[in-house]
Amino acid sequence: MGIKFKRVEFKYQGFDEKGYLALSNINLTIKPQGEFITLIGETGSGKTTLVQHMNALLTPTSGEMDILGAIINQETIRKKSVKLNPIRQKVGLVFQFPEYQLFEETVEKDIIFGPKNYGVSETEAIQRAKELIKVVGLNESYLSRSPFNLSGGEKKRVSIAGILAMNPDILILDEPTSGLDPMGRDELLKVFFDIHQRLGKTVIIITHDMNTVFHYAKRVLVMRDSYLVYDGDPMNLFTKKNIEHWNLDIPDILKLTYQIEERLDVTFPTRPRNKEALLEMLKELEA
Amino acid sequence: MNSIEIKNVSYQYQPNKPVLQEINLTIKKGEWVTILGHNGSGKSTLSKLIIGLLKPKTGEINVNGIPLTQETVYDIRQKVGIVFQNPDNQFVGVTVRDDIAFGLENLQIPREEMIERIETYARKVNVLEYLNKEPHALSGGQKQRVAIAGILAMHTDIIIFDEATSMLDPKGRNMVLETMKQLRHEGKTIITITHTMNEALLSDRIVVLKDGRILKEGSSQTILKDKTTLEKSNLEMLLPLKVLYDLEQENYTNKRIKDLLWELSLNV
Repeated sequence: MGIKFKRVEFKYQGFDEKGYLALSNINLTIKPQGEFITLIGETGSGKTTLVQHMNALLTPTSGEMDILGAIINQETIRKKSVKLNPIRQKVGLVFQFPEYQLFEETVEKDIIFGPKNYGVSETEAIQRAKELIKVVGLNESYLSRSPFNLSGGEKKRVSIAGILAMNPDILILDEPTSGLDPMGRDELLKVFFDIHQRLGKTVIIITHDMNTVFHYAKRVLVMRDSYLVYDGDPMNLFTKKNIEHWNLDIPDILKLTYQIEERLDVTFPTRPRNKEALLEMLKELEA
Repeated sequence: MNSIEIKNVSYQYQPNKPVLQEINLTIKKGEWVTILGHNGSGKSTLSKLIIGLLKPKTGEINVNGIPLTQETVYDIRQKVGIVFQNPDNQFVGVTVRDDIAFGLENLQIPREEMIERIETYARKVNVLEYLNKEPHALSGGQKQRVAIAGILAMHTDIIIFDEATSMLDPKGRNMVLETMKQLRHEGKTIITITHTMNEALLSDRIVVLKDGRILKEGSSQTILKDKTTLEKSNLEMLLPLKVLYDLEQENYTNKRIKDLLWELSLNV
């Protein structure tokens, strides 16, 4: 089960005949539970198009998707032989500017809109809203407020609560922390990591922040010019691959490690994954 | 000469909910100042006041020595350009060339001169080859540089970057940072609004806003090691300094490494 891409290609039809190839020959398997994946790559490389295939918002131009057992290809969509609603409920996608999608009078109404649409009773949905507003780091008093008077960061949190209220198995977030201050960013990342760890859900995050990738992800996907060019461990990516060629940055912790090695003319035995590991290495050096 | 003088300025969107309170700030010509602060600290409101998109409830703002009023606001906007956070939200033209021309048309610049200015500034920020493209076909970093060209072409001498790099990929961010450095070199007055420390470090002076007030102000090098101020305002210290402070907590003695960490924090 899970989400499978099988030789997926996607072409945006433009004004000219050629169109624009956004995905080329994507083969990828994502487990329905327990994954924490970051998806990176420069602007225009196909990241957003890739995740929009994961809940069948887009249909492959060629190849096919297997989303939790439902086959999505040109034929199944044309014949309407596949039900999309259950997919959208199980694979929750938070868009890049979720704050643009808030529309109800109150935060509570916004959060319960999704679950009610999928047949959850109003009482149950309100109960979920009360729990989830805390999960995303706000308090219950927010439920009665208008979503339009909230700050950017607060709006993001509300829209994430709205997706979580549908109780998806897989949660996908398109650049969820861009524009947030460092503390807001870290708080939100902890929320996602918590959802992954405590509830065992698969979480997929699109980001440009290499520190996020290095610190949190167990698995990292790199897109480049419509191709999936890397699928694996972040440490291996940042220490062994030619990432400049993919227009990626090095995480701060590695950058600092390399600078120290160069200036002190030493070679550390390992590469630190976080600040604590680097501190240990520096203490070793003193001794 | 002073580019911008903000005297005792306060602002509120809703009664009894002040967003900015008693702001006093003077920015000299050719200076690069960073306004640093958490989400909701009032940073963007301040930039909207400086370009006259909002009117202070109390206090006054002078730009190039001219008081900002209803009568002067259109003249002043020709002196102050702003680049916004979302590169997609600031295009009006069908092509990049049209877009840069837009501001110049408003100024009623003669056609010959307009063509010349477009080419000059497109070359300056390295977007010359995209002049005939549609803006939406460009990457985020390219779009932000087109926005900058449009501002420069109007011969503004003050440019505000309102979180202009926060939505860009690493390559786009570096492109825009390089352009900012070049503008400083040419003597432009620059105001960057950000919550990223390594961006703030490029500037001469940092003003830290918290809950609508100026919490602290000082040279970039002083603020960047001011742990208390940064923590109070939800900001993050640069990694080499974090490591340095952690080592000092544990009475680490290797001076060579400590000196190196301090040095590296200044060259991020």
